[in-house]
Amino acid sequence: MGVILELRGLSKRFGQGESVLEDVSLKIGEGEIFGLIGKSGAGKSTLARCVSYLEEPTAGGVVFAGREMGALSRGELYEARRSMGMVFQQFNLLMQRSVIGNVCFPMEISGWKRRAARERALKLLETVGLSDKADAYPSTLSGGQRQRVAIARAIALSPRILLCDEATSALDPETTRGILALLRELNQNMGITILVITHEMLVVESICHRVAILDRSRVVEVGDVREVFDHPKTEAAKALVAGDGQPDRARKLLRAVEAYRDKAGLAGISAEEVLRRAGIPID
Amino acid sequence: MPASQLIDLLWEGMLETLYMTLWSAALAYLIGLPMGVLMVVTDREGLRPMKRLNAALGAFVNLARSIPFLILLIAVIPLTRAIVGRIVGSTATIVPLTLSAAPFIARLVESSLKEVDAGMVLAARAMGATPAQIIRKVLLTEARPSLLLGAAIAVTTILGYSAMAGFVGGGGLGDIAIRYGFYRYQRDTMLWTVALLVIVVQLFQEAGARAARRIDKRI
Ligand SMILES: Nc1ncnc2c1ncn2[C@@H]1O[C@H](COP(=O)(O)OP(=O)(O)O)[C@@H](O)[C@H]1O
Ligand SMILES: [Mg+2]
Repeated sequence: MGVILELRGLSKRFGQGESVLEDVSLKIGEGEIFGLIGKSGAGKSTLARCVSYLEEPTAGGVVFAGREMGALSRGELYEARRSMGMVFQQFNLLMQRSVIGNVCFPMEISGWKRRAARERALKLLETVGLSDKADAYPSTLSGGQRQRVAIARAIALSPRILLCDEATSALDPETTRGILALLRELNQNMGITILVITHEMLVVESICHRVAILDRSRVVEVGDVREVFDHPKTEAAKALVAGDGQPDRARKLLRAVEAYRDKAGLAGISAEEVLRRAGIPID
Repeated sequence: MPASQLIDLLWEGMLETLYMTLWSAALAYLIGLPMGVLMVVTDREGLRPMKRLNAALGAFVNLARSIPFLILLIAVIPLTRAIVGRIVGSTATIVPLTLSAAPFIARLVESSLKEVDAGMVLAARAMGATPAQIIRKVLLTEARPSLLLGAAIAVTTILGYSAMAGFVGGGGLGDIAIRYGFYRYQRDTMLWTVALLVIVVQLFQEAGARAARRIDKRI
């Protein structure tokens, strides 16, 4: 497996403040879904921005697709960013543009012809299940729909990697599952590498292959998701696993229900609904 | 004064007022819009932070805005004469009106653009947009409703100043109000003039607000 993104001793501080990132090193393989989990304020969003040099690292660097990001000229940097898609918690859609206008935006700024861009945008909207919303405006969409538009926009230029910074944190559990399923689909069908940044363990558990734990500016653990979560070594990892708000048993039960649901051909129905149909009361 | 004559007089005055106001607004935007954009771009949080230039622009705008309009009007007489060839009448008034409105418009534009959500700019940067593309396709586009509201404020403010210029021979409705109402004691002519000014200001303000609402896609 080739490495698509490597962080080498990345550090970041703002002005004379404390370090927000301290000597972070990570390798993300081509085609994997990599999770980065950490509490609020750990430095996750800063890391996401440093990856594409939206923030300049104070020390260390980023190698993307074999090229040192810090050595790129301005023009080359814009080029490089066009092969990285980014998805945000607050969607960040252009509110004065229609849905299709938003999806066309990255193509427009990289010089695509209008017709070709619209054609591709329509295909992308089909991929994310929003064909009927092409001419709607973002303000008329639900949160989940907005995030689907944002994802369509982020993959418009066929990026080598998709950076998702808390992409599901503003969404309810049901919508979250839909978005996560979409991300998994994109990974499987298009082979797109995904960096999933989140503070929620459930997100990492449901789609990530490997995970890194970011705790107070540092990466304290990296490994396969099951390995890290089942046998947490550091205090930070243990705290994450214990304090997730979903006690272990409940989580195992939920996974069992979901597995049953998928096997029973009930995919798309919420776990709560499955239990209700089985006559099991929940509260 | 017979009604038909009054109507002709007011009609002509209003056309002159609109002529001054709209030309001044257009020219002032030619200066003020790029200045406002530059102030946002060079801001500490902007696309290309430039501390010195930003501070200089801000200071200049504040200075220019604190000069009372009538003083500015007199101070720029040499410039007006050089550009227009004369210093009274509506065309001559366009010069001081433009100069006094430009810094005001720069501030209006600046505040409209700063309302644009920083997340949109971040997203555009992440997509590899250049600063020029972000200015055109994100800042100016997303701020359109607010810019339009600002334009209504700018036009009505210029209209008010143009009436003031009328008091010193600047043409338009203000000129009529002072000549007939003050020097010739035609109280009703003055009242009609003022009423007309009020109506025109209301119309511009309302039209701007409506247009802003109509083009705003945020509902
Ligand atoms: N532009 C900035 N200037 C100063 N401090 C910042 C800036 N951006 C983030 N920080 C600080 O960096 C720390 C980590 O922030 P962030 O990366 O947003 O964390 P997370 O996404 O993990 O919640 C916080 O303490 C935050 O205040
Ligand atoms: Mg964050």
